[in-house]
This record gives sequence, C-alpha cells and structure tokens, in this order.
Amino acid sequence: MSNENTHKHAHAHDHHDDKPTGFLNRWLFTTNHKDIGTLYLILALVMFFVGGAMAMIIRAELFMPGLQLVEPDFFNQMTTMHALIMVFGAVMPAWVGFANWMIPMMIGAPDMALPRLNNWSFWILPFAFTMLASTLFMDSGGPAAGWTLYPPLSLQGGQSFAFVVFSIHMMGISSIMGAINVIATILNMRAPGMGLLRMPLFVWTWLITAFLLIAVMPVLAGAVTMLLTDHFFATSFFNAAGGGDPVMFQHIFWFFGHPEVYILILPAFGVVSEIIPTFARKPLFGYSAMVYATASIAFLSFIVWAHHMFTVGMPLTGELFFMYATMLIAIPTGVKVFNWVSTMWKGSMTFETPMLFAIGFVVLFTIGGLSGLMLAIASVDLQYHDTYFVVAHFHYVLVPGSVFALMAGTYYWLPKWTGHMYSEKWGKIHFWLSAISVNILFFPQHYLGLAGMPRRIPDYSTQFADFNMISSIGGFIFGASQLIFLGVIIHCVYKSRVKAPGRVWEGAKGLEWTLSSPPPYHSFNTPPVIDSTTVAHAEGTH
Amino acid sequence: MEMAGQDDFKKRRRQAVKTAWLLAAIATLIFIAFILSGVLGS
Repeated sequence: MSNENTHKHAHAHDHHDDKPTGFLNRWLFTTNHKDIGTLYLILALVMFFVGGAMAMIIRAELFMPGLQLVEPDFFNQMTTMHALIMVFGAVMPAWVGFANWMIPMMIGAPDMALPRLNNWSFWILPFAFTMLASTLFMDSGGPAAGWTLYPPLSLQGGQSFAFVVFSIHMMGISSIMGAINVIATILNMRAPGMGLLRMPLFVWTWLITAFLLIAVMPVLAGAVTMLLTDHFFATSFFNAAGGGDPVMFQHIFWFFGHPEVYILILPAFGVVSEIIPTFARKPLFGYSAMVYATASIAFLSFIVWAHHMFTVGMPLTGELFFMYATMLIAIPTGVKVFNWVSTMWKGSMTFETPMLFAIGFVVLFTIGGLSGLMLAIASVDLQYHDTYFVVAHFHYVLVPGSVFALMAGTYYWLPKWTGHMYSEKWGKIHFWLSAISVNILFFPQHYLGLAGMPRRIPDYSTQFADFNMISSIGGFIFGASQLIFLGVIIHCVYKSRVKAPGRVWEGAKGLEWTLSSPPPYHSFNTPPVIDSTTVAHAEGTH
Repeated sequence: MEMAGQDDFKKRRRQAVKTAWLLAAIATLIFIAFILSGVLGS
C-alpha cells in the first residue's frame, strides 16, 4: 500500500459533495453512478448467496446415491434457477456495478452519460428477480427444463412459465439499457486526451461487452417470446406437432448463449489486466494486443454457437466449421494468458489479496479454457456432451474465472469505494479456502463426466458415489468460505479504522487513483489533465 | 474520436443521447428480425 498523496483533483471537488438527503432520494431516485453501482453490487451479492444456497441443495442431494432431500422435480427447478440467478442475477449485475463505479472515474467523466436511464436499468432488476423467484411458490413450480429452456420440455411447464419469460424480458431490457449507457459514456464522455488506445483495459473490455449485449439480448428476447406464444397462444414456432422446429430454438438460443459466456468473462479479463500490472509494478505487456485479442474473441463468439449442438446432428461441413472456429478462440485467449504471465515476468511482485485472486484466475480459468478446447472436438464431444465434464468445464470458466475476477476486483477497489482498508489477513484466508475448495468441488466432476455421469440428475449409479461425495464436500467448504467474503466487506464498510489513501496500491496507475478514497460524490466536474503519469496505458510507455 | 473541450458536458450529453437512440434502434431491429425469421420460417 502506498502513502502517496492524492491528486489535486480530489481536493478540488470535495466541495461538490452534494449527496441527496433521505433514504428514498439517495437510493430510489438516485442518478449518481457510484450509488447505482453500489446498488448493483448489493443486488449481485444477495443473488450470489441465493443462487449459492440452491447450489448447496444440489450438492447435498448429490452427496450420496439415492434420493434423500428433495423431490426430483424440485431438484430440476434448483438446477435451472441456480443457473438463471447466477448468470443474470449475480455475475451480470456485478459487472454492471463495477462498470458504473469505475468507468466514469477511469475515463475522467463526471458520471455516466445517461443517469436517469441508469437508475431505470437498475430498478427493473429487483422486480424481475422477485418475479422469477416467486415461481417457486406457484402450483406449477419454477422453471425446471434447465437454463437453456429447450422446447418441448420447457413448454410442458405450467402457468408460471409466463412469469419466467416476463422476468427474462425485464432482465434483457435492463441489460440493453445498461449496455447503451456504457457505450454512450465511453464514446462521448472521455476526458480530453483520453484516446481510445489510452483507455484502461477494463474500459475496453466493457465497451466490447456492451456491444455483445446489444447484439444478443434481443435474440434471447425473441426466442423466449416465441416460446411464450407456443405455450399460451397455440403457435408452433418450435412445436414439431404443429410443423415447428425445436432444433431452431437451440440455434437461436446458442446464438445468444455463446456470446453470453463472453459477456460474463470479458470484463473479468479487464479487471485482471488492471490488477496484475499494479502488483507486478510493470506496465501491462502487449496492451494493444490485449485490445485486439478481446475484439477477436467477441467476433469469434458469434460464429461458434453450434458447437453446443454437435449431438443434434448437422452436415459434416457444419461440424468442421464450428469445430475449427471454436478452436480459433484459443489463439486470442492464449495471447491474453501469455501477456498476463509476461507482465509478471521479472516484475517486482507482491501478493496482496487482489493479486492472489488474479493469479488464481489466470491458472484456473486456463484449465476451463483447455477443457473447452477438448469439448470443441466434434468427434469426442459425442461422448462428453450432457455429462458432468461439461458441468466441470463451464464452472471452471465461471467460478474461478468470472467470480474470482469479481472478488479480485472487489478487494482491489473496495478501499477506493469505502475509504477504508479491508482485513488483508481475512482476505487471504478467504482466497486460500476458496482456491482449494473450488478445485475439490469441480475437478472431480471432470472424472465423473468422463465416466459417463449425466448432468441434471438427482440420483446416480453407485459407481459415481466417491467423486460426488468429494465434490459435495468441496462445495460445502466453498459455500462457507464466501461467508468470510461477506464478513470482510461488512467489516471494511462499517468497522475498519484503517483509512485508505487516494492511491491505495503503490503500483496502481490510472485516473481513479488520482481521486480521494472514497471519491467525491461527483468525480470529475472539470475534466482532468491526462498525461503519461496519470493513465495506465499511455502510448510509448510499454 | 476527437473529444470536446473542457466545459461542454451538455453538448457531449446531447451527443450521447443520439448514440443511445441509435443503439436502441439496432437492438429493436435485431429483436424484430429474429421474430420475423420465426414467423416467416414456420
């Protein structure tokens, strides 16, 4: 941690701290990017624990063979709701929260470009998730066909399906509005001198993510709208009995679904690209290559969707195209991993909690990437498809991938947000417990999948018992470890007595560190002066 | 993109609103295109 003084801008704006008074004015009617960012992060944390509780139910049921705790139909509802809540309720809103807090401060803007749209984007979400969760208490129960909502299974649910579709529409509208705001802010509100290739990597990855969101969320909206009319208005878009095509749904869903995976992971790349240079005390290796690699990954995400459908049956040329296109993604991803490692190479490294989570991300996300490469091979995917190998793969990408990056980012910027230091000791305990247990949780699932255990089943053959028990024990430890994370945040916000300086970390560069901690309510009413000492990635410095 | 001067946030916000409408129109078109593809294909 550095004791370096904060930049003069911080003091220049302290007198603009005109926070609205009263709870409703401050939080319900807020148009301030920091307040809305905080609201997004709180919602994401609540959803993380709700979705996590569902994961605990799943792992408890799978602790031993046989049915012990829940009915099979409820188990299916848990797997579906766990996925929907974690993807749309935890990880996506958490990244939007990070974007709200950090993008204006990183580009030298006073706020997001469209503050009232920002308020609306957030306040739709609690209603969407309340509606989604309410289906669990309806006669027909919650959605139970998996987060992919494949027909005809999803069409066999009851009346609650309308609530599910409407809640997905609301989430989609919120995401699109949030993405519009991010793009409008980055393209129009940058401080003079903050050229596109001077922007922090986190801003770049979010810009590209926002374009992905605008391109694919309407596709999901179209798909679920057609499901809705098939279910309630006797259309036959996907109903084979009426001349429809259920496989068409899979194509449309995965045209959304694969870019969606990158929506969850690209901002993680950005956060890790901010943290590693700070704690290696070196500029990011290959800044421009990182930007182009991110754009390449985003482009490729649109032309690989059918690798989720090799077992459906398609022409050989189709299989070959989607197989090779998927494998191509390994190239820009490899560039990124190479650049993170090269940034660390011969760096003056220290291992504070954000750095630990960032390194954990690089190692464990790569494992998820490599198993993805295995799944890309059409001929062997026929064996892996719909097994626990797939579950292991995407959980490695999303948990020690996206979630670890979220935790790294939280520890990195929490002192900036709150003005107080968190407990480094408990942060490190949280990291080591999480890093060890997440591998106990998900690594055995590779073996279960290779041995043929299908996903989304509440009971299984006794040959899978040992690995399932190990996986469940890892799951319980991982779940309990996250209570430490909650404790560290609460302690930092309410109890910590250690004041954070403006530049919290000695090696940190970027406009956000020129502000005080916590930053003034309105960050940059006067655009800051940009030079190579205040931006992390000035041309010619790397 | 050339950035505007230091005291013209209003002008930049107006430009941002135009960007937002353009992006919203693109999202709406994509939604309609996928619905239409379903209607025409069924």
